[in-house]
Amino acid sequence: MSIALRGIGKQFGEFAAVKNIDLDVPTGALIALLGPSGCGKTTLLRIIAGLEAPDEGQVLFDGRDATQWPIRDRNVGFVFQHYALFRHMSVFENVAFGLKVKPRRERPSAAEIRKKVQSLLELVQLGWAGDRYPAQLSGGQSQRVALARALAVDPDVLLLDEPFGALDSQVRHELRRWLRRLHDELHFTSIFVTHDQQEAIEVADTIVVLNRGRIEQFGVPGEVYDLPTSAFVHRFLGQVNELPVQLRGGRAYLGPIDISPAGDAPAEGTNNIALIRPHEIEVGSADVGWSASVVAVRVIGPIVRLELSAEGLPANELLEAEISRERYEGERFAVGQKVGLRFRRWQVYPAGGAAA
Amino acid sequence: MAAAEARGDGRRAAPGSLLLIAVALLFLGLFLVLPLLAVFVQALAKGVGAYVAAISDPMAWAAIKLTLYVAAIAVPFNLVFGVAAAWAIAKFEFRGKNTLITLIDLPFAVSPVIAGLIFILLFGSHGWFGGYLKVHHIRVVFAVPGIVLATIFVTFPFIARELIPVMQAQGKDDEETALSLGATGWQTFWRVTLPNIRWGLMYGVLLCNARAMGEFGAVSVVSGHVRGLTNTMPLHVEILYNEYNYTAAFAVASLLALLALLTLAGKSFLEWRQPELRHAAAQARDRTRRNNP
Repeated sequence: MSIALRGIGKQFGEFAAVKNIDLDVPTGALIALLGPSGCGKTTLLRIIAGLEAPDEGQVLFDGRDATQWPIRDRNVGFVFQHYALFRHMSVFENVAFGLKVKPRRERPSAAEIRKKVQSLLELVQLGWAGDRYPAQLSGGQSQRVALARALAVDPDVLLLDEPFGALDSQVRHELRRWLRRLHDELHFTSIFVTHDQQEAIEVADTIVVLNRGRIEQFGVPGEVYDLPTSAFVHRFLGQVNELPVQLRGGRAYLGPIDISPAGDAPAEGTNNIALIRPHEIEVGSADVGWSASVVAVRVIGPIVRLELSAEGLPANELLEAEISRERYEGERFAVGQKVGLRFRRWQVYPAGGAAA
Repeated sequence: MAAAEARGDGRRAAPGSLLLIAVALLFLGLFLVLPLLAVFVQALAKGVGAYVAAISDPMAWAAIKLTLYVAAIAVPFNLVFGVAAAWAIAKFEFRGKNTLITLIDLPFAVSPVIAGLIFILLFGSHGWFGGYLKVHHIRVVFAVPGIVLATIFVTFPFIARELIPVMQAQGKDDEETALSLGATGWQTFWRVTLPNIRWGLMYGVLLCNARAMGEFGAVSVVSGHVRGLTNTMPLHVEILYNEYNYTAAFAVASLLALLALLTLAGKSFLEWRQPELRHAAAQARDRTRRNNP
């Protein structure tokens, strides 16, 4: 089922949670709504589910206006961050719930229900847990039960609100990959909310970055990461170094490095910043580029992060560069060593205004 | 380090905690066990025969029946109201919510005697509705309806107060999940909400029932003390006591005390019967142990 939002707005008292949102989710897509807390991502998800009514705008399911449909008519599966398992029911009864509450003429027979629930439990690798109660399950197991329960009613759309937010990182990583596989097998339309950019990049086909109730950027993960359209998105998806762009004699500089665009020179008086990701800083020998000294070295698995104090910058403003482990093994940067910095890529944004 | 170890092992109590336990037990014995014991001792002071006679006295029997009758109306009424009010307060945002919470607490704040007087003022022969009731030959005050009204008023907050924090802590996720799975509002209430609150609800009902049967002040004002007609058990106990008929007074009082013990036993039994509740209780204990090493 395809979902379209047209001019969705929602106020909570004085606070505008989402403003004039337009979004198209094609059938079978797996979309991440990404943003910091309070950006409106959960409100948007709840509006799609029918748990919240928008003040303005339309929700279209397959082109039909579903704005006024109650949640139980929308055929959506909703998964909460804290699982919301019915604690007085066994795992089996939890998964069977959606089938058992169907009107009599649509309700499958007890044997069919048992078969379907068991196959769903096998699907989430919990075939053995049917008789357990939610209190006896771990977080990862609970969330898989919640997913099986949502899938039991064959939803057209699966909506997940920070589904892995309450799990520890190992389990989170496994469940992400598992959700991705499940989505590829079953082909429903999925929308999930997260504040974790890595999760969004790992799982989703398309990332929608939200900020202050508006869509900041929309695109495939690589594109959003590499070509952010605003300083907010650039900062939110991954680490950045921020440097003021200095204008001297009609040319633009980051420290001593000339970054003037090939065409027209920037106007005098414009106030810009450049954002550079740590892996876009080239660390080389001291005689080339912007001279700096190594302040700290941290080996983080396959990458090595260097903290660098560049000449002319205040002592507390350190730059972060990331180099590969192999490179580090070869060159052995030591604390206190003098190096030269060059920038492989950067992006210039107007300062202020677009602050995160 | 030594202190931390001592605290880590719950079975080896430090002298300070032994003292605290002793003080708690002493108070418990002095203020709860001893009086309860005294009631039964006094009730059986003249033998089982006198006890049975006191209870099977027609006046005592009438008081017992009236008490049960009043509770049988007041408790279900407050059950419905309490669940509805707690549901509204815990799961919805609306204007005047805080006013509603305050109003529910009003019977706690008002002296029961005043609660009784309110109904005299409203429904008494010189009260606001007194004239209308007289014309239509409806007796409220100094009759059973007045006792029921006063009891409902006094026991109003018990169930709602018990449920509001439980429902607020549970949030709306379970209900929203049920709705998203296609359940109707009615199915959601019976299959999800009610089972989730049943222990809180049972506590509330027990407290409400105990108070409904034990209420003295408000009922005393509106009852008129007509023996065999408008006397509830507590009122009957007082009358017997004032007539120096201690054995009979304590015999009836012992029934009220017995009722309290039975409700406690019933609650323990139900908890023991529910397997998933045992798990939950065990988990809660584990959590407490982990959090307070």
